[in-house]
Amino acid sequence: MFNVFPTLTSMNLLSKLLRFGSIAAAMIGVVMIVMVSRTQAERQMAPPGDPPLMPPQKPFAEAVAATGILEALSENVAIGVPLPGLITEVLVKVNDAVKKDQPLMKLDDRDLRAEQLSTQAQQEISKAQITVSEAQLAKMESQFARLTSVTDSRAVSRDDIENRKQDVRVAQAQLVAARAQLSASETSLKRIALLIERLTVRAPRDGTIIQVNIRAGEYAATSPKTPALILGDTGKLQIRADIDEQNATRIREGQKAYGYLKGDPTVTFPLEFIRIEPYVIPKISLTGSSTERVDTRVLQVIYSLVRPADPPLYVGQQVDVFIEAPDRHKKP
Amino acid sequence: MIGLALKMLFGDTAKYLMLVAGLFFATFLIVQQASVFCGLMRWTTATLKNVAAPIFVVEERVEQVNETNPMRDTDVALIRSVSAVRWAMPLYSGIQRVRLDDGSFKTIQLIGIDAASFAGAPGKLVAGHLEDLRLPNTVVIDELATERLSPDPKDPSKKIKIGDRFEINDVEARVVGICKAMRSFTGGPYIWTTYERALQYSPPQRKMLSAVIAAPIQGMTNEEAAAVIERTTGLRAYVNRDFGKNGRDFNTSTIWWYVKNTGIPISFGTTVVIGFIVGVAIACQTFYAFVLDNLKHLGALKAMGMSNFRLSVMLIFQALTVGLIGFGLGLLATSGFAMGALKNGQPPFFMPWQIPVAAFCVIQIICMIAALMGIVRLSLYEPAMVFRA
Repeated sequence: MFNVFPTLTSMNLLSKLLRFGSIAAAMIGVVMIVMVSRTQAERQMAPPGDPPLMPPQKPFAEAVAATGILEALSENVAIGVPLPGLITEVLVKVNDAVKKDQPLMKLDDRDLRAEQLSTQAQQEISKAQITVSEAQLAKMESQFARLTSVTDSRAVSRDDIENRKQDVRVAQAQLVAARAQLSASETSLKRIALLIERLTVRAPRDGTIIQVNIRAGEYAATSPKTPALILGDTGKLQIRADIDEQNATRIREGQKAYGYLKGDPTVTFPLEFIRIEPYVIPKISLTGSSTERVDTRVLQVIYSLVRPADPPLYVGQQVDVFIEAPDRHKKP
Repeated sequence: MIGLALKMLFGDTAKYLMLVAGLFFATFLIVQQASVFCGLMRWTTATLKNVAAPIFVVEERVEQVNETNPMRDTDVALIRSVSAVRWAMPLYSGIQRVRLDDGSFKTIQLIGIDAASFAGAPGKLVAGHLEDLRLPNTVVIDELATERLSPDPKDPSKKIKIGDRFEINDVEARVVGICKAMRSFTGGPYIWTTYERALQYSPPQRKMLSAVIAAPIQGMTNEEAAAVIERTTGLRAYVNRDFGKNGRDFNTSTIWWYVKNTGIPISFGTTVVIGFIVGVAIACQTFYAFVLDNLKHLGALKAMGMSNFRLSVMLIFQALTVGLIGFGLGLLATSGFAMGALKNGQPPFFMPWQIPVAAFCVIQIICMIAALMGIVRLSLYEPAMVFRA
């Protein structure tokens, strides 16, 4: 229908240009806007989908999720010291397998050893005292014997004899006292030896050293922030799962559960129920925040697991736990 | 008849240009302003676009994504325990400050995602590897941040690259990836890190979990799963679609929050209305003047026996043609603006297909009003008047 225009001669070049130009520009405008909307569509963010690494799949249709931490089956023993003092020697390394009563570390015992020295000297004195008393007794006995051997009663006075007799008894008593003195210093030595022995911390049970937080030369307190050593049985592990108190009503004994290693959702292992901790505790933030915050209380459930050959599991690792539990809104 | 109508229309170039210009301005104002408005509103939902998760679970009374009320850490496990949820991961989102080498401060939008699954990670990485985010003190930044955080934004050689460092709240951050991301409403670039590290970067609060992102199990829609989550946990679960009628959609909820609580829609709405009024005023006036000018010819045609109906069709056709050309020119100008805006990332521009379609209808309505006025004038015109002069 536009081909009518060229036949019109009344229009000059400029108006022709404006006319066709405007029509062309309008058409370009429509094309451009389509392009713009296409560019715009390309720049859109991808629609919501799955994350790059798929999070752990729930093994059950209805499950309670919890965060757990791996512990040694025997529960980790935080080894303490009998009295605060300087550590002179740590006899074990991390990962060492230790037997019951094996020495783990030694505390500074120089004060006791000094006391031991003086007690030993005391013992020598006591021994010498016994010899003196024995000699004294022998002397008294011989003097008494001499007097009693005189047959003539007029030659010695009765009083003399009585005196000598008492002297012998005093000397006998002194000997007994000296012997008691010796035995006291011996006991004292034994006591000191026992106290020295106490300064060597020994393993309370068989296990593996999981953590060593103390080195020779450091001061060990009786109630430290971090335990000096942690001993545990890493052969079999257990998981302590924290369940939000809001989900606590869904937990029953013997429910099936699976654990997923945090950081690698592909590693999964079945868990075996051990027990439910009867006391609901304030949650300690396990999720690595900058400050520990108590914001809710959690029910703790203990599960055991057999250590898989691969990949290695470590005590203290965080685990996502799924426990099969019916929905609270459904009647079982 | 059509040829005649066009000849009449193009006969006077000045009038023709005047007519087209009015409609051009109206189109440009309506489409451009509406698109900028849509773009700006879309920026408010940038977090939802950049963190592509099907479901966002937030505290019960949260209405929009930029203003969340933090939840407890255990709420992740609580949501995971809902049977309708396939996976659920924690998300931190907050505005933090970055200190640059020269001591200046820039605000950023910090996003903390789960380190194991990277749920909520940026969709398109331009450089670097997402896995490097597991290294200590590492972040992934968006393309805007490469300029915004550089010491000299105008110098391309000084852009932030992989391996560069800066400080977020006095904690070191090392760049291991650069991604594409949508701009935020506040203008700060997006910076991703792991959830745990995001907590270290942020000043400590009692509760830090901004939202939990989740996905429904297979065979369940996002809406159904969100409803189940709300019923079982008492938290608010939103789905992440696009702006629409869906009341459960976080985008819609966020945009409505801004519409209700800010003056943005009023200011843009005024401009769009002014565009309409200007269009109507110029187009009607010029068209009416055009009809008056040609009244003699039209009267002659009428006297020659052409019916009012055919003359009306002629006028309507003329109005339509002018409307189409004006609309096209308006789109041309808008697309020119849009090209620049899309290239630079600002000013905001987002044009859903409804905008040009609606603008087309509006322009045609303006033209029809103009044509109607001409028709009224013409029908009142007596053919005899032609001979009287």
